[in-house]
Amino acid sequence: MEVLGWVGALSSRDFYVAARAFADNRKEFNSAFPPWNWVPSPHLSQLQQQQQGYLSLERICLPGSSKEDVNEENHTGEEKAYEPVDNATLVETSSPQACYYDFHIVYSDSYRFPVLYFRSYHIDGQPLALEEIEKDLPACSSKVLLESKWAFITQEVRIPQSPSQSKLKKKICSMNHAELCLPHNNGVNRT
Amino acid sequence: MEGGNGKSILQFAPFQSSVDEGFWHRLSSLKLNKFGVDDSPVPITGFYAPCSQSQVSNHLTLLAESLPSDSSEESSLLAVSRGNRNRCFVPGIIYNTNTVEGFHALDKQGLLKAEAQKIWEDICSGKALEDSSVLSRFLLISFADLKKWSFHYWFAFPALVLDPPATLVNLRPASQCFSSEEAESVSAAFNEWRNSSLTADVPFFLVHIDSNSHATIKHLKDWETSQSADDGHKLLFGFYDPCHLPNHPGWPLRNLLAFVCSRWDLKSVHFLCYRESRGFADLGLSLVGEAMITIPPGWRNHGHVPNAVGWELNKGRRVPRIISLAKSMDPTRLAISAADLNLKLMRWRALPSLNLHSLSSLKCLLLGAGTLGCQVARTLMAWGVRNITLVDNGRVAMSNPLRQSLYTLDDCLNGGEYKATAAVNSLKRIFPAVEAEGVIMAIPMPGHPVPSQEEQSVLDDCRRLHDLIDSHDVVLLLTDTRESRWLPSLLCANTNKITITAALGFDSFLVMRHGAGPCSSSHDSKTEAENSLSADMSNLGLTDGDGGKRLGCYFCNDVVAPIDSTSNRTLDQQCTVTRPGLAPIASALAVELLVGILHHPHGIFAEGEVVNSSNSGSSEQPLGILPHQIRGSLAQFSQMTLVGHSSDSCTACCGTVVSEYRKRGMEFILQAINYPTYLEDLTGLTELMKSASKFELEWDDGTDEDDDDLVEV
Repeated sequence: MEVLGWVGALSSRDFYVAARAFADNRKEFNSAFPPWNWVPSPHLSQLQQQQQGYLSLERICLPGSSKEDVNEENHTGEEKAYEPVDNATLVETSSPQACYYDFHIVYSDSYRFPVLYFRSYHIDGQPLALEEIEKDLPACSSKVLLESKWAFITQEVRIPQSPSQSKLKKKICSMNHAELCLPHNNGVNRT
Repeated sequence: MEGGNGKSILQFAPFQSSVDEGFWHRLSSLKLNKFGVDDSPVPITGFYAPCSQSQVSNHLTLLAESLPSDSSEESSLLAVSRGNRNRCFVPGIIYNTNTVEGFHALDKQGLLKAEAQKIWEDICSGKALEDSSVLSRFLLISFADLKKWSFHYWFAFPALVLDPPATLVNLRPASQCFSSEEAESVSAAFNEWRNSSLTADVPFFLVHIDSNSHATIKHLKDWETSQSADDGHKLLFGFYDPCHLPNHPGWPLRNLLAFVCSRWDLKSVHFLCYRESRGFADLGLSLVGEAMITIPPGWRNHGHVPNAVGWELNKGRRVPRIISLAKSMDPTRLAISAADLNLKLMRWRALPSLNLHSLSSLKCLLLGAGTLGCQVARTLMAWGVRNITLVDNGRVAMSNPLRQSLYTLDDCLNGGEYKATAAVNSLKRIFPAVEAEGVIMAIPMPGHPVPSQEEQSVLDDCRRLHDLIDSHDVVLLLTDTRESRWLPSLLCANTNKITITAALGFDSFLVMRHGAGPCSSSHDSKTEAENSLSADMSNLGLTDGDGGKRLGCYFCNDVVAPIDSTSNRTLDQQCTVTRPGLAPIASALAVELLVGILHHPHGIFAEGEVVNSSNSGSSEQPLGILPHQIRGSLAQFSQMTLVGHSSDSCTACCGTVVSEYRKRGMEFILQAINYPTYLEDLTGLTELMKSASKFELEWDDGTDEDDDDLVEV
């Protein structure tokens, strides 16, 4: 049903058009950054398949601030996993732990609006705590966060059932859909 | 690092592991549902792709799909056998032990050797020619602690060791090694290779550039046919390089060199480390180099397996890694964070002044675990209260589960579980993080005289009740008789505890908060000392420090002392027979009233407010008005808010009674229990009755005595 009664609402088809345009736009104007990829939904009929899908941007690396390793248990001495001395292995100085973000822009049928889902994690799979994520938010979002925490960001927690659901997701409802949907708005590399 | 002929030793950047949280979830699920105590090794699949950013290396990644599927899942999801351009499949194996000791005791040297042997056999047999990804075979050992939701693990990427090590002749960015024509052709060839689903996931290949600068990418098995008489041709061994470093190739090159030198006996190997950016070949990032190899003597011997290295270092140390996922996997923790989030949303949305901390740290004592008690406990938990004690000496009866929402049929069997115990178990099943305690105890009651042999145990119960009330912040009187509320009311008045009473009639209810005790003041003790007159008056219980009157308790309106209300009654008069809808209503109001007190700046000293048209909709407090008493009638579907002040002759909370208790303690209690008329004498009620009856002859129908509703509930 494409009848829209609300101001600012988007139809599913409009989302498809805008999302593709956004991704193409970004490839063209923001070529320094990794591109957004359109991922079609796999399980729908052929007819709908072209238009149903989401935008995906994965494994964005934020070089870390040194993460205090809360998982570091006191090892009782080093493991005697004997290996012959090997000069061919490069020994790297340990660098601060990076953290990674996966972003997905998904069309929400109930809100009739794009929703940004993201998850953040360290390289060993440990998800970031909310406090750590808040540090990574762009300046304008941090400001809004101070004022009204749950206005635009909320946390979705699900116990994983299957590979496709094995993700904790946090959700931002974008207040300004222009940022996401109007193709001529370039230079948008924040969400 | 200097090699034998003055050239430097070729140093490889180790492979790095990356594990998605979903992998741990799937491993846990498999361990619980499928593997059980079976700790035999399980084949898994790793994924990697060439480096795609100049600042960060790529990793060998494990996802949920790396493990075989849990049998309960739909196997139709992603039954992909081929990789794609972002995912080369790499075979691996996992040894998941049953204990942490087992994990540490694994023969790591032996396991690494076993995997190295597989690689060597694949090289010797030619399998590596057909499926080159076997050159990057890996090993994972792990221990999944499914109680604490933490995972110990250690990756090994076996690399066959060349002894003496390969030396580096030169290593430069690919763009510096090709002419611009060659570079263009190479890029185009790579993009075609990467875009074709047949070749995109093949991580080892040949780069052939003929004398016309035309480049083609071929499979390794085409090496022999690629030899040609064309002098100007270049043939490079290429591989997807996960590493980003400008001066070092990535780990997969090690086994490629071992393969090349053992299979084709080459002394000098030209190689290309393929890296890309933004989906296209990046010849500035990619490296081209030449290495000199000396084939180790033992390698020609049949059956000899080369040494291998490859255990992943953890921040430079040769120790395993540990990850704790309790926060995101432990169902109890998930329940806690979901509940907290719910309350926080309420706080953001509607009630910014909601004090969640005061609710979560509140210690609630519920006297009675029946119809009212069960419902109150549930509603308290919904408000975030986590510390609940239930006192009840009864057992769950067959009719109880229908009206008492914490019990089920199982609690009634075999004579019935004790209510206090069953209620606590039920609360924990609903929300495991609750700190609930059950106390099986009867509350001593006036009018139920105590035989001398039981005196000691009754006194013990009194003391126990005193201690319970002392150690909690809030007391809720939810018992089923009037007299059972007397002692708790007195003890609460004595210690100035926030007290809520809920009581049911057949189709009417009363929910009220007791006023402050007689020996309290809303001022600080400093101020009290300064104003000794008002302090004296406070002590007499006539006024509180403000000069206003204290609010009353449950007994303030009564002109008779509590007596035995259960004997000599018919069955329907003995049990509280009420309309079923009543208890949930009263319980809910009791909890909401409590939350209101906790958020009022004056707390227990807050004045009683009533509903009237001037304050409907716009009240001073965010939660609305704070009544003293709510009396409701189901027959009318109506509710009234009332205010009643304390009575100086109250048998439970007046100054006389409280000071008598303070003076004589348990002796006083026992006397009140055994001789209910004692209380009437003490408080002057006896006198009041006598003087009231004197007036009977002169009764004049026109006047209303008082506004208070004297109906007993």
